[in-house]
Amino acid sequence: MPWAELVQYVATGLLVGGVYALMSIGLALIFGVMRVVNFAQGDFMMLGMYLTYFYAVAGAIDPLLGAVLTIPPFFVLGWLVHRGLLARVTGGGDPQRQMDAQLILTLGLSLVITNAATMILTPTPRGIRTAYATRAFALGPVLLNQARSYAFAMALVLAVAVYVFLTRTDAGKALRAAADDPEAAAYQAIDVRAMHGLAFGTGIALVAAAGGLLAAYYPIEPNVAGNFIVLMFVAVVLGGLGSIPGAFVGGLVIGLVQSLTLLVLPFQLQNTGVFIAFLLVLYLRPQGLFGRRARTV
Amino acid sequence: MPAPYRALSLFLALVLLAAVSPAPLPAADDVKIALVAPLSGRWARQGQLKKMGADMAIEEINGQGGIKALGGAKLVLREADAGDSVEKAVSAAQRVLTRDKISAGIGSWLSSFTLGVTEVAERLQVPWLSLSYADSITERGFKYTFQTSPVSSVQAEQALDLVVDLGKKHGRPIKRAAIVGDNTAATVFFFKPLREKLLAAKGIELVVDEVWTPPLADATAIVQKLRATQPDIMFYGGTNFPDSIQVLQKIKEFGVKTPIQGVGAWLVTPEYVKAVGKELLDNIQSVVAAHPMKGQDELVKKFVQRTGEPFMTQDPLCTYAHVWLIKEAIEQAKSADPKAIRDALAKIDVSAGPATSAFYPPRVKFDERGRRIGAAPLIVQWQGGEPFTVVPAAVATRAIAFHK
Repeated sequence: MPWAELVQYVATGLLVGGVYALMSIGLALIFGVMRVVNFAQGDFMMLGMYLTYFYAVAGAIDPLLGAVLTIPPFFVLGWLVHRGLLARVTGGGDPQRQMDAQLILTLGLSLVITNAATMILTPTPRGIRTAYATRAFALGPVLLNQARSYAFAMALVLAVAVYVFLTRTDAGKALRAAADDPEAAAYQAIDVRAMHGLAFGTGIALVAAAGGLLAAYYPIEPNVAGNFIVLMFVAVVLGGLGSIPGAFVGGLVIGLVQSLTLLVLPFQLQNTGVFIAFLLVLYLRPQGLFGRRARTV
Repeated sequence: MPAPYRALSLFLALVLLAAVSPAPLPAADDVKIALVAPLSGRWARQGQLKKMGADMAIEEINGQGGIKALGGAKLVLREADAGDSVEKAVSAAQRVLTRDKISAGIGSWLSSFTLGVTEVAERLQVPWLSLSYADSITERGFKYTFQTSPVSSVQAEQALDLVVDLGKKHGRPIKRAAIVGDNTAATVFFFKPLREKLLAAKGIELVVDEVWTPPLADATAIVQKLRATQPDIMFYGGTNFPDSIQVLQKIKEFGVKTPIQGVGAWLVTPEYVKAVGKELLDNIQSVVAAHPMKGQDELVKKFVQRTGEPFMTQDPLCTYAHVWLIKEAIEQAKSADPKAIRDALAKIDVSAGPATSAFYPPRVKFDERGRRIGAAPLIVQWQGGEPFTVVPAAVATRAIAFHK
């Protein structure tokens, strides 16, 4: 195989993985801090795509900017969903019953959002036409899709911003403390419930922004979450449950494996490569790639 | 419970109730027909279009006095969501056909779904009309399944003949071909004869053969192969809209100029114009079972006014005709009993009226397998942001344009 073709496969995989990575860190943040498996994560991504679409239609706002503008409203939405629903089934009581309740709650929320979106927004796919969706940066014989390149760069910036927030700010440190040991954090006058609200709001805002970036080149429909939700969970588990850097790397690895699988397997088995890699990682390193940091943020 | 939580809970409960509430009960002598189509999931748009066609036909029939042989009985549609998997489609069919006394059914768009749903209909002895293409739908000896579309293998043969003739006529003979698409049943049955015999019989080399399972993560690898081999034609079957958009966007990005011959009506729906623009679509053609033909302006106009859709396509057109065909069968059977309607459909021979409006040639008579005798496909081509019937010339609404 010519080297250029191999480089093309690697570059494509990384660009695809960049958005998977941003989708996944929101999920990892929520799990890391709250121990909540949010099955509705993909549906919030879908809503983020729609909001970006409406920004584009109503205000002629470019989806790359629109993606950033989804962050504040979705942070508020996430915070409200936490206060109104999740806080009622988390943060006290029998852990096993809490786990059951939050699984049922997020799954139910996912069904309600998808069906409400189908009823209200109709199943007709929509799309934002951008010139850069069908243009490429040419690096010699290697072509990098412009929309995916911009989305990758913005995903990287947002991921770094989250990392800086968690490691360099008081609120971020309090969030990590609440994730590490809620009881000890409470003794330090950290409002754990507020931290859970902050984590859920941030996690939802991040996945909505990922949806906004995706909307720059991917059609929008009420069921679009189904195309990504399994990969999000695989990325989070691959990277080490609850680890933000792990989820980011997990997302990149999935994109890369999807792309490189095509060198040895037919297209129909593209995701087989992902799941083989997933099983291998779980077999050789059950705690995930960033296992030592598992259950921390 | 604090007031805001109560309000939120009430809202969610209302949304859930709206989703599960049954439709209003019909009068005792109404005739119920089932539509099992994807109303959620990645093919929901096609289900929505099918429902538009069914609703329009039912409104017309009931507005014209209902079923005369049954004293003016009204037709009532019972729709069931086939979702996005065969299991869900089968479950939906089972539910709708056992919950109510259904006289006949229509569905389920995707051939993979139809294969499952018709098994349920056969077991419960309810006649079933389908627009799906897969050959195997009517190769199982079923007595209650009626397929109005030309089967995939016939479509493959005719589409190949057309592109070969066009190539010759324009001095660009087809020597190398690509097969690109997903592995849903209709596409599989279209590609199979091309791959196994038809291309070789015409001396055409198959240079790209890429089939994926939806959803497609990225189309770069496929289009890279197209760019490297530069085939003279690409047979294309990407039924899932996001997959198809990714392929078309990538084709533009990589500057691939290979002409595209699609497989099915999914490629000629209005949302394509918004997603990729009319310039990219121009001259892309697709082989379909139905599309508005010459002389159907009034029907299309009525549909457009009623639904707000920019144009009419195979899915509403076929479902519209299917409802009318069921009405004809009930009139002939003089009964709403499913077995009597099945027998009437097996013997039916109509050559005019709305029951034949979707079909070419405009005659509905089924053979012993349940296939419409003489069913032939149409070729539809995008021109200026709208798809027009271009082949056969007798019913074409525009002349065919050669790929530039």
